[in-house]
Amino acid sequence: MAALLELHDLGVTYRTAAGPVPAVRGVDLTLGAGDTLGVAGESGSGKSTVALSVLRLLPRSATVTGRILLEGEDVRTMRWGRLRAVRWSSAAVVFQGAMHALNPVRRVGEQIAEPLRLHAPPGTARAAMPDSRLRARVADLLAAVGLPETRARAYPHELSGGQRQRVMIAMALACEPRLILADEPTTALDVLVQAQVLNLLRGLVAERGIGLMLISHDLSVLAATCARVAVMYRGEVAEHGPAADVMRRPRHPHTRALAAAFPTVGDPESRYAPATATALPPEPPGRGTREEPAVLAARGLRVRFRDRAGGEVAAVDGVDLDLRRDEIVALVGQSGSGKTTLARTLLALQRPSAGSVLFRGDPVPRSGTALRAYRRQVQLVLQDPAAALNPRHTVYEAVAEGPRIHRLPGDERSRVVAALEAAELRPAAEFLSRLPHELSGGQRQRVVIAGALALEPSVLVADEPVASLDASVRGEILALLLRLRREIGLAALVITHDLGLAWNIADRVAVMYRGRLVEEGAVEKVLLDPQHEYTRELLAAAAVPGTGEPAERGV
Amino acid sequence: MTTSVDTAGPAGAGTRRAGTSTLRFLAGKVGAAAVSLAFVVVLGFLLFRMIPGDPVATMTRDRPTSPEQLARLRERLGVDEPMVRQFLDYAGGLLRGDLGTSYIYNRPVSAMIGERLWPTILLVGTATLLAAALGLWLGVRAAWRRGSTFDRAQTGIALTLWSVPQFWLGLLLLTATQGLFPSRGMRSPDIPPDLLGQALDVAHHLVLPCVTLLAVTYAQYMLVMRSSLLEEMGAEYLTTARAKGLRDDLVRARHAVPNALLPTVTLVFLQFGMVVSGTVTVETVFSWPGLGLLTYEALRGPDLPLLQGLFVVLAGAVILMNLVAEVLYRVLDPRVRAS
Repeated sequence: MAALLELHDLGVTYRTAAGPVPAVRGVDLTLGAGDTLGVAGESGSGKSTVALSVLRLLPRSATVTGRILLEGEDVRTMRWGRLRAVRWSSAAVVFQGAMHALNPVRRVGEQIAEPLRLHAPPGTARAAMPDSRLRARVADLLAAVGLPETRARAYPHELSGGQRQRVMIAMALACEPRLILADEPTTALDVLVQAQVLNLLRGLVAERGIGLMLISHDLSVLAATCARVAVMYRGEVAEHGPAADVMRRPRHPHTRALAAAFPTVGDPESRYAPATATALPPEPPGRGTREEPAVLAARGLRVRFRDRAGGEVAAVDGVDLDLRRDEIVALVGQSGSGKTTLARTLLALQRPSAGSVLFRGDPVPRSGTALRAYRRQVQLVLQDPAAALNPRHTVYEAVAEGPRIHRLPGDERSRVVAALEAAELRPAAEFLSRLPHELSGGQRQRVVIAGALALEPSVLVADEPVASLDASVRGEILALLLRLRREIGLAALVITHDLGLAWNIADRVAVMYRGRLVEEGAVEKVLLDPQHEYTRELLAAAAVPGTGEPAERGV
Repeated sequence: MTTSVDTAGPAGAGTRRAGTSTLRFLAGKVGAAAVSLAFVVVLGFLLFRMIPGDPVATMTRDRPTSPEQLARLRERLGVDEPMVRQFLDYAGGLLRGDLGTSYIYNRPVSAMIGERLWPTILLVGTATLLAAALGLWLGVRAAWRRGSTFDRAQTGIALTLWSVPQFWLGLLLLTATQGLFPSRGMRSPDIPPDLLGQALDVAHHLVLPCVTLLAVTYAQYMLVMRSSLLEEMGAEYLTTARAKGLRDDLVRARHAVPNALLPTVTLVFLQFGMVVSGTVTVETVFSWPGLGLLTYEALRGPDLPLLQGLFVVLAGAVILMNLVAEVLYRVLDPRVRAS
């Protein structure tokens, strides 16, 4: 019997204004029934293009060469009618369903039912499925992904990220396809939810003997879910083999970089050692010998919001936290745990309902020039540098804006250049007149950091600073934060859902759960010997790479 | 397989509170509209008190009048009363539906506006419906084939027509049709009083002003629909729909177009409110007996109570239509209901 999916010498080229751009070259992959194949790679490596080419979903500007055999039939030469019949019934797709892959104004039940109406099961007349049977089938599908039947009447925005992804999976299963292509199905989800969704996907695939092609930038996700892993680099398969082998003995340098980007918590080699090409400065002498006073501190901080019904929700519920000079603290928790609200309150962007924020021992002023002076000292770095930078401002403008607002003395240009150098954009002169879209993701984040450094702050608050960056850039940005700490004693509060990040660069970890800090202490202590149930759960959910086995739930 | 479910979503809570939140939403919107209307009333009053010139002098411009007659006229019109007194009279009258008495025609303003309202609604309603239908259809086609000859040609034509002055286009159409359609008014005097004959006669009169209005307004529907659909076409859920095996035209009809239509709803209603006041030129050119022509006549006076009344009614139309659009949008788009 033919394999479920065979790709022979697959090539995809995009026609662009600047000439043809090859996105995928000479890819050979095979997937059998019940087989699980992971495709890893950074953005632009061509991994999503491979997935979309299987159902011919690429834009018109793409030219596909080679052979794509879906159950022995070449997709490239199929007629439109046949292709439409094959779509979803032979192979279905689970997109990164955070929000956009579902139609925002139709109930999810209707959207799950849509392919059922379209592809009548074999043996029945077309479109003969009565509404009652359709509803029952949708209820079955929702039950299979662990959602109650009533959720069929919900709109996508009424569901959480994990629930939406479950809906996407239910939708993919609707026509009982033999192949599922999952394109970054858990990106943008929390660690715990990610583990749930992956478990679900793995369980359904094994139970029904479906072939699964899972695409992700995160090698550990693939290693925990797939039997085989193919690593793509610049449109080609750089390495391909059993997941455990690829993880344990990566041969291609790019695979090694990807593996190093997501360090194992507890691995002494990656402690204070983010994946970077340049050496880190040594630890300043005499560090940790004396107890420094806190630069920034929260005392009994509470922030309450009024919800729509008029009830009160405590987003931050009595938090005490100290941040000292020459220290990086990682604030870890799920989305909704209140970590961003806490950060906003520390930055005096949100007024606390109770408690206080102390800067060098004094309460943070609430208005006027004193508040402005405080804001200069405590700078913010946001998650998505593409959104944080004004697309029409040059790098120079972006970095110079802060010093201008605060009317800092001295030559503006030399200040900007110094900030860019400090953020390792060298030579700085080359970047001054560039616009954000001319920069890579990592360079953009460096510009954001340079904008903060230009004000010579004493504290940096970074909200998921590497979550939107590629794996190879991630290590470099983390190394930058670590270097800034070691070289100028910058204090940083890094908000993250990623425990590996904490292990990479942080000195202390604070674990936030439902508005409270449930555990706080030195990285080694908290992450290697967690005391709180929730911390253990988080640690367990971060998949154990290299074993090919699912991570054990700590519950 | 895991059995734990993240059921703590906001959906269940949302449906429970939907009733009260809808009421609160409606109350808020109606309240905001009422506040806007109050501003309009005050503004209308002040605006027409600031027009230079003595209304009594204007009214008696061409007639010999004695000082006693003038004094009596002044007293009847109340123009010498203190401003606060005048405003209270005016506001009190408004509450009773009394917009004052026209200086020139010596008739109640509300009655005059009442009889001129329906011709305008007929004209504007027809033109808006046709313009919206034509514009949206063209917009969908242009966006779906972005950059094609159809797209470029239609966008160009629509923009050209949009930039053409209404009176000029009206006169051009009058000349071009060579008396094929009546050039002025809404009815011919010599039509038998049966319903069908009357209706056909009005429709015959309607053609030219309606086409003029249609031609200059459809461009905005087309352009908004085009850009809205272009935005939707990049959306990932359309790839999902195509992956499901939907035909391209069904992807468009079922997913892309309904969602892209949402922003145009506000536009259509807001435009309907605006066009009521924007028909001054067209109605004047074709002597269509509507509010536009009435405004023109009132301006020539100037007939202050009439202008004031028209101002309040026309501004009120915009506010009302905006309110309708906001409520309708909430019905159509579930995302708005949530926020």
